[in-house]
Amino acid sequence: MDLNTNSSARGRVIPLLLLALALFGPAPVRSQTDVRIGIKASGTVKSPLYLARFRAEGGAQGVADEARGVVRRDFELSSVFAVADVDPLREKLTPDPSQTGSVRVEGLVEAAAAGMFRFTGEVFDLGTAESVFRRGYPFGPSDLRAVMHRFNDDVLEALTGERGIAETRIAFIRQDGRYKEVWVADYDGQNARQLTHDRSLALSPAWAPWGSEIAFTTFKRGNPDLYLFDQKRGASYPFSTRPGLNTAPCYSPDGKWIACTLSRDGNAEIYLISRDAQTARRLTRNERIDSSPSFSPTGREIVFTSDRSGSPQVYAMDTEGSNQRLLTLEGKYNDSPQWSPKGDKIVYASRHDAVFDVIVMDSNGQNPVQITYDAGHNENPRWSADGRKIYFSSSRLGKRQIFMMNPDGSDVVQLTQGEDTFNPAVGPRPRKQTTQPTSG
Amino acid sequence: MGEPIMSRSPSIATLVLAALLAAALAAVGCASSKKVSTTPPPPPAPEQTQTESPPPPPPPSSDEQTEVKMSLGDAFFDFDDASLRADAKTVLENNARFLESHGSAKAVVEGHCDERGSVEYNLALGERRAKAAKEFLVSYGIAAVRLTTISYGKERPFDSGHDESSWAKNRRAHFVSK
Repeated sequence: MDLNTNSSARGRVIPLLLLALALFGPAPVRSQTDVRIGIKASGTVKSPLYLARFRAEGGAQGVADEARGVVRRDFELSSVFAVADVDPLREKLTPDPSQTGSVRVEGLVEAAAAGMFRFTGEVFDLGTAESVFRRGYPFGPSDLRAVMHRFNDDVLEALTGERGIAETRIAFIRQDGRYKEVWVADYDGQNARQLTHDRSLALSPAWAPWGSEIAFTTFKRGNPDLYLFDQKRGASYPFSTRPGLNTAPCYSPDGKWIACTLSRDGNAEIYLISRDAQTARRLTRNERIDSSPSFSPTGREIVFTSDRSGSPQVYAMDTEGSNQRLLTLEGKYNDSPQWSPKGDKIVYASRHDAVFDVIVMDSNGQNPVQITYDAGHNENPRWSADGRKIYFSSSRLGKRQIFMMNPDGSDVVQLTQGEDTFNPAVGPRPRKQTTQPTSG
Repeated sequence: MGEPIMSRSPSIATLVLAALLAAALAAVGCASSKKVSTTPPPPPAPEQTQTESPPPPPPPSSDEQTEVKMSLGDAFFDFDDASLRADAKTVLENNARFLESHGSAKAVVEGHCDERGSVEYNLALGERRAKAAKEFLVSYGIAAVRLTTISYGKERPFDSGHDESSWAKNRRAHFVSK
């Protein structure tokens, strides 16, 4: 292997190549859906990924090993790959059609000037022995995790046509004595840090589409008010402090509106408030609870919870408030709905047999599938940015913690530990990727 | 930052004493004076058998002999329900009599829920409970301006347990002196 040969600009042709290989080769193929490397996004069937020990130059083996550990976990958490450890190549790869659909990842970390490093990652298709992805990433010691997350997402984009989520972040609520505060962390729960220090009740965080702002409910002035936390300034600002409830925020996909629950008219109703706080539109009108709005990815519809029928159920409506319709036809208690990023599914929490579990259904309410079982209460489901994962809170081990799983319920991974932790919220992908192509 | 939540929350002893006094009022059937020494009476018998849960009798307080400033009892609710049970109405009638005889007293009605269900839905449910309690008192003749409502949803449980006996204590409209 030679990491210094020119192999750029190949990533775009590879997905098609791999698609053909996946459809006609021996790799397992469940169905002819949007398959690039022979698997569905659910991760039920995984593509073998052989991860070599990263090589190092300039005395950077420790950094190389650490970098490999980070991206190894990323590859595993993606559920796209079944990761196996191998030695670095000593000889040139030879084509092996029986390995079609499998990839091999090599890496090199070089120590550069002024304490900087350069990581070069390369992916080979084992069926053809061709390099299918290769890119270089300069980084400083504090950027190691971020750079490996980017490499993971780049590899996933090159091989599957869709970026991963390793660069995205999550927010959640964590209990601290009598207080509850907003925390943020990397997509895998690492690098968790406390965002608010209001020594009050903070609840229901929601990310702005541009990523630097988080809307949340706080009681810090005594009433459940909506505040916006600006992560660039490290401070929060009041957004809606109307009498009664100001809860359950959700940004529209274009970021111009925040759907939320207000009770200024007497009971909980869903409103749209413009991000500049100049306009408020009431969308629901009934004597019962309407809450927990979530936009469809087009921004044209909103899914929400209402107990207008006597118990909480999942409804949808047009963003103007028209065409309100019941979606959930099964279960007596359905709540916390969220539209999937691709728009085809809705996830929600359902109470049955005295426990809560996560359900995924088609966005028209058909085909509900329970995806958590026999493991405490499982609530607050939230899609990852790519729709390949569902975050949720679970009491399966005692205090609530944040978990992540595939939309079919497989590959459940615990992401947080410690005090009671709930209300996961998923941040957007970074707007612009600034990776540096390798020029050879 | 201030700590309105903390400053509003009464001690458990106050809660117990308030509930006990409400029970005493029910037994005697008249309004009491503002300062009452608290010899714990027996808890009231439930008005009727509820399908979901009877109201939990408050635990007796033997180590506290403080005076009660505001003797307004808690109204308890069934799961996912903001309608007033018979026992809740009894408590609220006693509260109304107290407020009637203490014309300057103002109260915050806190709506609370048990731990089951989402943060957001329970905030709305707690508000319905607080408002149901307030509306009962207003219909009894208490001026609405004397009563403000707030919902804490499931975020301020009275009892941190995870079974029905704890949940029953947490589904409540709770009165705090303003």
